[in-house]
Amino acid sequence: MIATVLLVSLRRLLHNRIELLLTFAVPIAFFSIFAVIFGGGIGAGGTPKIKVVAIDEVDSIQSRAMMASLHETAGLRFVGKGEDETGKFKTSKKSLTQAEAKDWVRRGTASIAILLRADKGQIAADLLSDTSDQVAPQIVSALVMKAMLSAQRPLGMPSVFTEASNPASDPEPSNPERWAVAQAGGLNATKTTLSPPSLVPPTVRIVDILGVGKANGVVSMYAAGIAVMFLLFGATGGGGALLEERENQTLDRLLTTGLTMDQLLLGKWFYLTALGVVQTTVMFAWGQLVFGIDLLGHVDGFLIMTLVTAGAAAAFGLLLATICRTRGQLNGLSVVVVLTMSALGGSMVPRYVMSQTLRDAGLWTFNAWALDGYDKVFWRDLPASDLWPQMSVLMVSGAVFMITARLLAIRWETE
Amino acid sequence: MSSLLLHDNKVGDLIASVSNMTFPSDNAKTSVMGPLVPDAPATAIALRTTDSAAQTFMLTSSRRDAIPAVHVVAIKKRFRSVEALRGASFTLRSGERLALLGPNGAGKTTLIRCLAGRTKPDSGKIELHGKKLPPTGGRERMGLVPQDLAIYSDLTTRENMVAFARFHGLRGKTLKIQVDWALEWTGLGARQHELVGGFSGGMKRRVNLACGVMHQPGVLLLDEPTVGVDPQSRQRIFQMLDELHSLGTSILLTTHHLDEAEQRCDRIVIIDHGLVIADGTLAELVNSTIGASRHVKLRLDKRLASPLSPWHVGSEPAGDALETRVNDVAGQLPGLLEGVRVAGYEVLNVEVRAPSLHDVFLHLTGQELRD
Repeated sequence: MIATVLLVSLRRLLHNRIELLLTFAVPIAFFSIFAVIFGGGIGAGGTPKIKVVAIDEVDSIQSRAMMASLHETAGLRFVGKGEDETGKFKTSKKSLTQAEAKDWVRRGTASIAILLRADKGQIAADLLSDTSDQVAPQIVSALVMKAMLSAQRPLGMPSVFTEASNPASDPEPSNPERWAVAQAGGLNATKTTLSPPSLVPPTVRIVDILGVGKANGVVSMYAAGIAVMFLLFGATGGGGALLEERENQTLDRLLTTGLTMDQLLLGKWFYLTALGVVQTTVMFAWGQLVFGIDLLGHVDGFLIMTLVTAGAAAAFGLLLATICRTRGQLNGLSVVVVLTMSALGGSMVPRYVMSQTLRDAGLWTFNAWALDGYDKVFWRDLPASDLWPQMSVLMVSGAVFMITARLLAIRWETE
Repeated sequence: MSSLLLHDNKVGDLIASVSNMTFPSDNAKTSVMGPLVPDAPATAIALRTTDSAAQTFMLTSSRRDAIPAVHVVAIKKRFRSVEALRGASFTLRSGERLALLGPNGAGKTTLIRCLAGRTKPDSGKIELHGKKLPPTGGRERMGLVPQDLAIYSDLTTRENMVAFARFHGLRGKTLKIQVDWALEWTGLGARQHELVGGFSGGMKRRVNLACGVMHQPGVLLLDEPTVGVDPQSRQRIFQMLDELHSLGTSILLTTHHLDEAEQRCDRIVIIDHGLVIADGTLAELVNSTIGASRHVKLRLDKRLASPLSPWHVGSEPAGDALETRVNDVAGQLPGLLEGVRVAGYEVLNVEVRAPSLHDVFLHLTGQELRD
């Protein structure tokens, strides 16, 4: 009997090609995606480069040497003024103002602005940071420290960076460079001042220019990521109702009434959009109550992003439904598509940990644009007018999804 | 099927069965209603009683009587290599109950879908109340009750009825009147606020039926409305259809229950291989195919040794049974019984069966299994 049950189950699986495919293909697909994100697989290209801008307010031989050293660093990608088209160093004192650099960081054009300034006759560095990326400030801090120490280091002194080091196991500042890097690696370090016996230590200070005054700004990013993923799942589930109506002949009956396919699809789109808006609003309201997300302070931007995201998600759900023939197909397809989009688009893993290739690939997903929009609203405090790229992409996407869904639904009108 | 079994040689107790007819009650006060669908042809006036929504009648004009409710001319439809309809033609007269019969794959569903505007015919013409229908749309005066339960099981009875009434264009007071009427018509008024998903099969069928007639259509297309329900529910559903018919609705019914077609319909159309192969009343179909003679079967006390001339039908005697056909039961049956007795047999049982639609159907469509 048990063998019969086993055989029946196996035969049913073998007869259902889509289920069979999903059983083996989906785990492989997701393993591959996460391997690429975390494992430096295809398209990773090593450590992701951090986008920085640099301002040299000191403009001395030593500071220029530091800047040149930083520009040679493989892990940094310099953007904006002061760099030529290839990103090569040609900075000058007037290339970028501190206010402009802050604005660039605030807008996400750069993750960190490196500001070299004079401090009591020494060169100090301020890292004007977007701390929503919790990794970048620590890396840049270490790299800047290295560049500054290298510039200060007497000739012939070995560089700590050429040796294997374990800062945590080196509690005594016997080697000032190594200890400096270890100090710079602290997540909450805001100021690192070294006092080695033989050298005047450089100062590297991480200045959080976005997180100041925010109770828990990063949580809003996770809220947005989860919200967008569930908007997509909700929309595909709602699209499934259309297939259910088709399967049980309710669609036949509906289309013999005064209802047209246009009205049917639009009705479902409005419903799914409204449901998505309410769902996301409830989630953010909970976030405000429990986790301190500043929803009330960003109502306009939140509503704009939620409306366009929910609208596009609803259209996407209807598109997937009209592509499929049965609910079984839709369930399989939606799991693959939504989870892939969520993984690439940043709903599951922050995009800043991804390689540039994957980040670029993520821009083909819906989630990335939506999350960028929420990021602008809640983290960067940008005005609603700055949301136009995200709004445009999501609205155009939604329109294209709806038009395609409508065209695909023609086959259901007179079969 | 009008058959009669006579036991213990009691031949004289032949009783003819007559199908029940229902007539609208003519009592109660009435109020006048216009057509429920705004752009429907003004060919009918609905008179609704004020004391009972179920007692509603529709007076049809003489013009409507003259024009067929549905007229189908040479409809053809091909799906790739399959020719589903090969020029089917028939007429549903106004106020008529027409059964559309046929084996599986004969083209019934395709024909119903063409009528409902859900399948576009390759050629041919469909007229509704004398007006040519476009391939889609223009069917506001038509109602469709699909074979499947095409309702929302996660809505209540009333919510389903309101939804489909709105889809059919009803609003405001008219909508409320129709929903109240439908709840009473289906006998589900007491359970109007319960989810349909929890209902029995018969109750779901009644809701399914009601949702197709919320707008009081002039023509109702029913695709096997009683499939999978118990006899009591079938009886109730046909009572509902009788009420609807009394309102003036023309009904086209597809079914595999031949007794339903025989007893509940005015006329029968049989379709096979995409063509209408028979069209008429049961009597007309019988006369034009197998004839009106009765089938008589006698069970004897022992095996027949040889065919009992001139009564025996068939080449070989079939055990202890003798089967034959008689045109005049009262005149010929006594002679048959006497002949059997004289031949040395005792009659244990007599079965007299009138020709049925089942016989006609098999005669026309053959005994071969259709897959």
